[in-house]
Amino acid sequence: MIERLKRFINNGDLRKVRFYTQLITFLLFVYGGYFAISFGSSFPIFVCPFNSESAATCYLISLQHQLARPTEVIFSMASLGVLIGLVTFIAWFAVLNKAWCGYMCPFGTLQDWITALRKRMGIRFSTYTQNEFENLSKIKYIFLAIILLVPLFMGLGMLDREWFHAFCQMCPARIISPMFVGDFSQWMIDFSSVTIMILTSIGVAFAGLFFIGSFVKKRFFCFFCPMSALHYIFAKFSIIRFTKEGDKCTRCGDCYAVCDMQIKDIADDVISKDILRDDCILCLKCVAACPEDDALHFDIFNVKAFSSTKEGFAKRMGIEKPRDKK
Amino acid sequence: MSTNIHHKIESPKDRQNRHKAMEAIKLINTIKEDFKFPIKSMEYFYDLFERVYCKNEPLHGDKVKVGTMCIQIPSEIIYALDGVPIRLCNGFYTDDEIGSDLLPQKACPLVKATVGHFASGNFSDKPDIVFSPTTCDQKTKAGAIIEKFGHEVIDVDFPRTKESEASREFFRKSIREFTSKLSKFQGKKLSRKNLKDSISKIGYAQSLYHKLTTYRQSDIVPILGIDVFLITNAFFFDKIDNWIDAMEALLEELEVRSKEKIHVAGKISPRIVYTGSPPIFPNYKIPQIIEQSDAIIVADETCSSNRMFNDMVAVDEWLVNDMLDSISDKYLKACTCPIFTKNDDRIRRIIHLAKQYKADGVIYQAFAGCTVYEMEQRSVLEAMEKAGIPILYIESDYSPSQHGQLSTRVEAFIESLKTRRRNKK
Repeated sequence: MIERLKRFINNGDLRKVRFYTQLITFLLFVYGGYFAISFGSSFPIFVCPFNSESAATCYLISLQHQLARPTEVIFSMASLGVLIGLVTFIAWFAVLNKAWCGYMCPFGTLQDWITALRKRMGIRFSTYTQNEFENLSKIKYIFLAIILLVPLFMGLGMLDREWFHAFCQMCPARIISPMFVGDFSQWMIDFSSVTIMILTSIGVAFAGLFFIGSFVKKRFFCFFCPMSALHYIFAKFSIIRFTKEGDKCTRCGDCYAVCDMQIKDIADDVISKDILRDDCILCLKCVAACPEDDALHFDIFNVKAFSSTKEGFAKRMGIEKPRDKK
Repeated sequence: MSTNIHHKIESPKDRQNRHKAMEAIKLINTIKEDFKFPIKSMEYFYDLFERVYCKNEPLHGDKVKVGTMCIQIPSEIIYALDGVPIRLCNGFYTDDEIGSDLLPQKACPLVKATVGHFASGNFSDKPDIVFSPTTCDQKTKAGAIIEKFGHEVIDVDFPRTKESEASREFFRKSIREFTSKLSKFQGKKLSRKNLKDSISKIGYAQSLYHKLTTYRQSDIVPILGIDVFLITNAFFFDKIDNWIDAMEALLEELEVRSKEKIHVAGKISPRIVYTGSPPIFPNYKIPQIIEQSDAIIVADETCSSNRMFNDMVAVDEWLVNDMLDSISDKYLKACTCPIFTKNDDRIRRIIHLAKQYKADGVIYQAFAGCTVYEMEQRSVLEAMEKAGIPILYIESDYSPSQHGQLSTRVEAFIESLKTRRRNKK
């Protein structure tokens, strides 16, 4: 019975499962407000509260608010609030690990839809060279540093109020998310001070770039996402593991070929058991594209929940007996 | 009375064909008759080899035949462009002797035989164009020699390191170039549908091979290793649709056999993983000695068999460019050919096969003159020792003369494996 269930899952059409999960979660998180749904303010994905109907608040925005208190307050009992926020965030995160990115994040979903549009038009995606990849993937840590340090400097009185949630000012989700409920008001540059003007200009530029970038490059924004960086710090606390059994890997590169994030280790690293990397969005496309039995698997509480199999591979790749035989 | 006798003088070509037919039929008959429990559906393959190598029957008529010098030329693309891939690696001693006049004495017999075959120009299915990937030194140079015999030979650049990102990009470009050259030659453009269909077709053929290997993993093995070599060898030149049908019939029979618990070897026959220089029809010298000495080959790591079928092409977006990249990655990155600078992948693969197929030992053959396999011997032996897997290294060539020596060594190794097995119990 369990064997049959396993086989059913391993032979599953991941593409479909993902499409519907993403569709449902997108609607839930972007329009949940209409149904008075709220998941609190420590959500580990880009559910932007600038969209008045969103069903939760992105943790990065809460984090910036919480850290922006005067330094004396931060070091008092009031910091309990910061701690509770963090614990809630980790609790949410631990359930799905980085699969939040690949299945839940509406901002990620949006990029996948733009990709689908490009695919339909028959235009090929572009990729970064290895060098570009290495340099660009550091940017998310710079953003994360801005999120953590700017509010603290504000607390110390070294920066002005105009630096208030500085990252959000630059974040394309602030501008794009409200559009889904018909609010285009974020598409503007705020001239109230030079700092704000610069930050919001970056935001608008980034939002524009978001559409172009994700049209030519799969999951364009995710490379730069500070949430992804924050996730990675806590990945060890999750009940979810992403495992590679190196001795079963032939390094054929199939997983790398389908990887939206161009993670090379997935194909080339045959030593690490834990193959989750900071850029990974746990979309599991690599597991679906791996033709070796059990070389890659997605584990919940160390039990294999989704494994690569030869049979599942053949099903998903449409390998079947040729019909047009003479 | 005597006026009716016509003396026909045998031409060199006829003589060569006669010698090759003798080599071929000798092997076919041995396989057919020397082993217990023959498989009925293997008849197709015995017959195929007899038709092609004894009767010189052409298989492909007026289809364009695209010769390939190594496995790194993607058949997917050749089929998609309406050609028939013919792998030209040769296993005949007769051709090896002809090639010996043209190449250094110490050259690899496989390369010598391939060149010898071209020198005589004696083909049942003559390739219209030849693609030669720049793999090992000898094959690379062989391409240029063959060109002198009046064949159209096109080199396909192949990198000798595979770890770096640069080599991946290099080979992707190289495959694009190969595609555009072949497409020009054929006067046909590569379409999305054709390429997708041929990926799926070859993938299906591969999946049949994978099914075959599952039978070899069980304790009761219903098929001999030498038969499997014959099957995979047939894929070099057979019509793919016929091959697929024959494989399906074979798999059905194997299913029945495994239910009836027909084991083609003895109860304590050691299980062998074969690696090294590829056995190519009719040079099955070593596999034959192994299986005649009461062992059974359950898996192999060679380019004429497992390496050709194991790895599959995965595509994310089914556009021509994406498919081409995926194809080229498969042919480069998964390849465990010893021509690469480092080859940890090959060692990992052998160990994995030994575990997966519950093998008692590994037999590593290198052709005398195949420098790269000879050079890798030491590191593979070391790794096997570390992993606790017994291994025998043998050097051989295509000549029929060393049979006695080789069988003594193989038998001794197999006896030692049997003792090991008994002691374990």
